[in-house]
Amino acid sequence: MTTPESAMSRTLHAQPQSGMVSAAAAMFWPRARCWRAALGHGAAALLACALLAGPERAVTADTAPIIIGMVTPLTGPAAESGRYAEWGAEMAVSEVNAAGGVMGRMLKLVIEDDQTTNPGVVSAFNRLANDPAIVAFLGSIRSTQVHAMDPDVRRVGKPVFFGGTDPNLTHAGDPWLFRCRPNDTYSAKVIAAFGVETLGLKKWALVTSTDAFGSSGARLLSAELQSLGASVVTAQGYANQTPDFTPVVLAVKGSGADVIGSYFTFEQDLAIFARQLRQLGVRSAWVGSPSITDTAALHLAGPALFGTYGVADFNADSSPEARRFADAYQKLHKIPVDQFAAWTYDAINLAALAIGNAKSTDPQGMRAAILAIRGYKGTEGVYDFDANGDGLHGYNVVQNKNGKIEFVKRVDFPAP
Amino acid sequence: MAIILQLLFTGLGIGAVYALVALGFVLIYRATNVVNFAQGQFAMLGGYCMVITTVDLGLPYWLGILITLVVMAGFGAIFNLGVYYPLRHRSFLPVVISTIGASILITNLVLGLYGPEPTTLPGVIDFPGVSLGAVFLDSQYLVIIAVTLILVLLQYFFFEHTLVGKKMQAVSQDKEVASLLGINVTGMIMLTFAYSAVLGGIAGVLVAPILFVSVGLGAQIALKAFAASIIGGFGDVPGAIAGGLIIGVAETLGAFYISVPYKDAFAFILLFAFLLIRPQGIFGEKVSQKA
Repeated sequence: MTTPESAMSRTLHAQPQSGMVSAAAAMFWPRARCWRAALGHGAAALLACALLAGPERAVTADTAPIIIGMVTPLTGPAAESGRYAEWGAEMAVSEVNAAGGVMGRMLKLVIEDDQTTNPGVVSAFNRLANDPAIVAFLGSIRSTQVHAMDPDVRRVGKPVFFGGTDPNLTHAGDPWLFRCRPNDTYSAKVIAAFGVETLGLKKWALVTSTDAFGSSGARLLSAELQSLGASVVTAQGYANQTPDFTPVVLAVKGSGADVIGSYFTFEQDLAIFARQLRQLGVRSAWVGSPSITDTAALHLAGPALFGTYGVADFNADSSPEARRFADAYQKLHKIPVDQFAAWTYDAINLAALAIGNAKSTDPQGMRAAILAIRGYKGTEGVYDFDANGDGLHGYNVVQNKNGKIEFVKRVDFPAP
Repeated sequence: MAIILQLLFTGLGIGAVYALVALGFVLIYRATNVVNFAQGQFAMLGGYCMVITTVDLGLPYWLGILITLVVMAGFGAIFNLGVYYPLRHRSFLPVVISTIGASILITNLVLGLYGPEPTTLPGVIDFPGVSLGAVFLDSQYLVIIAVTLILVLLQYFFFEHTLVGKKMQAVSQDKEVASLLGINVTGMIMLTFAYSAVLGGIAGVLVAPILFVSVGLGAQIALKAFAASIIGGFGDVPGAIAGGLIIGVAETLGAFYISVPYKDAFAFILLFAFLLIRPQGIFGEKVSQKA
């Protein structure tokens, strides 16, 4: 499925440059870019560009925008969350540029549609990677897509910030992947600890997607529950985009589980399951992975999710930084913020911080600067990058109270 | 026992939706000898029509349904004029490709106009359902099954006891002879497209409160509906109904008793088995060639 929108990349200049500066900066890269910039900024810029054009007159890159590429779903089943991700990244770019940019240069975001598919994300990433001016990338929030991108990420050799939570992604030897959300080792630890120790529930039903994210979550949660002395009475995997969950719900109901642990990839699946679960009379407690707290899931499932718990990498009440971002996002977009926007907001800020600290956009320099980040207070938590590229090491526990997500507590683990 | 009844009920409900879309496939195939791969998109359009009329514009539900049916009939006629009619003298393949192209166009137009976010549509009846012992009967599934039954009866009456229905049947059986008998073949084909679009739209309206309304709604149903029409015997009306119900029940029972992750595979295993053992489907007649 391809739309006119998906067929083209979208760019964002949060603070457009003007006149001579813009034109001269644009000249550093290929001539076509120069002409595009010049045309965009008017006749004066065009004249300046023409006068200064020529390889022998090429100016330094000191004032050229620093370009960050982003792949996100603008079409397909995850398009709604893709839009939120785009908004989060755009807000960060605007704020960084409003504060003077990085090393005196503006940030520029170039976006490609990944169509919510693995082939789509690979194609989108490669389209971006073909532009040598792009210094870093924002990858997918979906682990299965990051797995698909991984060989190309290694080949390109530039930092890629991503949001997928499969722990294997940062443990498979790719030095260019940097995670801006806590991985599932932590979500599984927090789901299990909260359910077993805080709620006192020991008979678990697991409902998980069969994709990379869900399978990894199921495996880790089973291991954590086992270590806490709880039992998994049924484990139900489902294929994404399932129209009917009756067999899963009946299996959960028949298992006698007193609590459900879940890893859902898509909000539509989660909402269909939640509604059928309540219709068929299952009243067990439910502690889910972050998708249970998504804006889209809350909208689609409505009362069927009331009373459920979830682990959320982002919660507006978890820190002053998160609150400030949530208020600004709400003011701008008129909807509550969720983790889809939060991680991309943090990723842009981390990229800017790393470039600033490295004083360079050289990939190796940026990599070293990212891994050296300690104690950076982002909206998702405090970033302490470990050697694998994991920035966060804890989760918030939240509860859906009549459709409103309320903060319960923050659980952090020391970085390994 | 309660579990089996629950699974059967849900399977029949979802199978009835497949059956409605499969009926659209079959009717167009009988009238034109081509497969309309945009039939699923008709369901998606029906869902969006209801959202626009009842949720966005706040019109009463019955009026929303009425408008949706009229819009879908009109859309079916336009679809015929734009997608089938210009290629009616061409072979099977160009027309099929034309319908695939139209399905992509429709999906992307809706995406451009309405955005990618899935949205909710309230059910026809404002209560969740009834419990019979341990079996819960979802009100929307009850409506789906009832509407499918009513439509099948109405369709039987229409085709067997009305002049227009008989003309449509005559066209589907032999266009040349029908034309010689003074039947307006072009008009009958137009009517068939309009009716198929209405059927698809009804399926969309019925299933939207369960699966939500999104641009992927049609594709989710259409593939299973296509398999249902083949299992029933392509071109056979009772076969489409039976095929839809069989797939709905088989995938629901298979998911519970064998494997949830392979739920979608059961429909296609059935399809494969039929193509191998009984390619003419349940109600289809074997076609033999003389030497």
